[in-house]
Amino acid sequence: MFGLILAAAPAIPNDVGGKYVAGAYIVFVLLLLIYVGIMASKLQRIEKELREVAGVAEQRRAEEAEAASNPEVRA
Amino acid sequence: MYGKGLRPLSIATVVAFAVGFSLVFFYAPLEADQGFIQKIFYLHVPLAIVSLAGFITGGVFAVLHLRTDDRKWDAYSYVAIHISVIFAVGGLLTGSIWAKGSWGHWWVWNEPTLVSFLIVFLLYATYYPFRYAIEDRQRQARYASVFAITAGAFVPLNFLAVRESASLVHPRVFATAEGGLPGSMMLTFLCAIVSMALLWTTLVKFELSAKSAQGQLKRLRRALDAPSGPPSSRIAPEVH
Repeated sequence: MFGLILAAAPAIPNDVGGKYVAGAYIVFVLLLLIYVGIMASKLQRIEKELREVAGVAEQRRAEEAEAASNPEVRA
Repeated sequence: MYGKGLRPLSIATVVAFAVGFSLVFFYAPLEADQGFIQKIFYLHVPLAIVSLAGFITGGVFAVLHLRTDDRKWDAYSYVAIHISVIFAVGGLLTGSIWAKGSWGHWWVWNEPTLVSFLIVFLLYATYYPFRYAIEDRQRQARYASVFAITAGAFVPLNFLAVRESASLVHPRVFATAEGGLPGSMMLTFLCAIVSMALLWTTLVKFELSAKSAQGQLKRLRRALDAPSGPPSSRIAPEVH
């Protein structure tokens, strides 16, 4: 599929214009990739924090369940 | 809440870009005067137009924030300006590349369109230090909204002033003395604008949903009385 697209694509003129057009479009794609990369790292941090909070919640629930099943400890 | 509709919007953006870029390279004819380098315009002009429209949109959200005192609108305004600044960087870089190829210079200081766009960009670049210089969240949001409204009003005024200026060295895309763009080029250009506007909307929604997740996480920590995570280096608006 990708090969077909490449075969059908017009060749970028190998003169001064072609070089600058390619440069401009590459800059646009790079900008997008940098943004997506930064957002990915932000989301990874959120995910990590979420795991920590979930761990705290589960630990609390386990402690409460233990206290409820063992009234002496509770007293 | 903010992530709702993000997937269809992302798909629509990808499809629009695929169609837009196909039209640019397969359908739009070569411009007689500039040749192949004119293809940069289908990227550079939409980036610039969408960033300017985004700055105005940020101002409109700021008006809503001041009217309703709802922090949601402050977050909208912040994110709209944030994404528009990124688009403006793209517009400046691709414009510079075009200028080098066409004029032989990366930058021309006596060209009003270029310099005025740079002024708008630098104005919005001061938004971040201005915002983060204020620690109190209420005051920060209010002052940032005033900034966004003032700067947002400056954008169309600046655009009109430049439009009325005598220099026509910078090419006019929509209207020239000889007429406008031919149909095939106009269609391609409109597709490029729609793709860029869709990309802007998608990124704004994406950023808002990330901020919302961060806000919800902080609330959860507070509710659980759990130790907070690493302190944020800056005070960005929260959305819940």
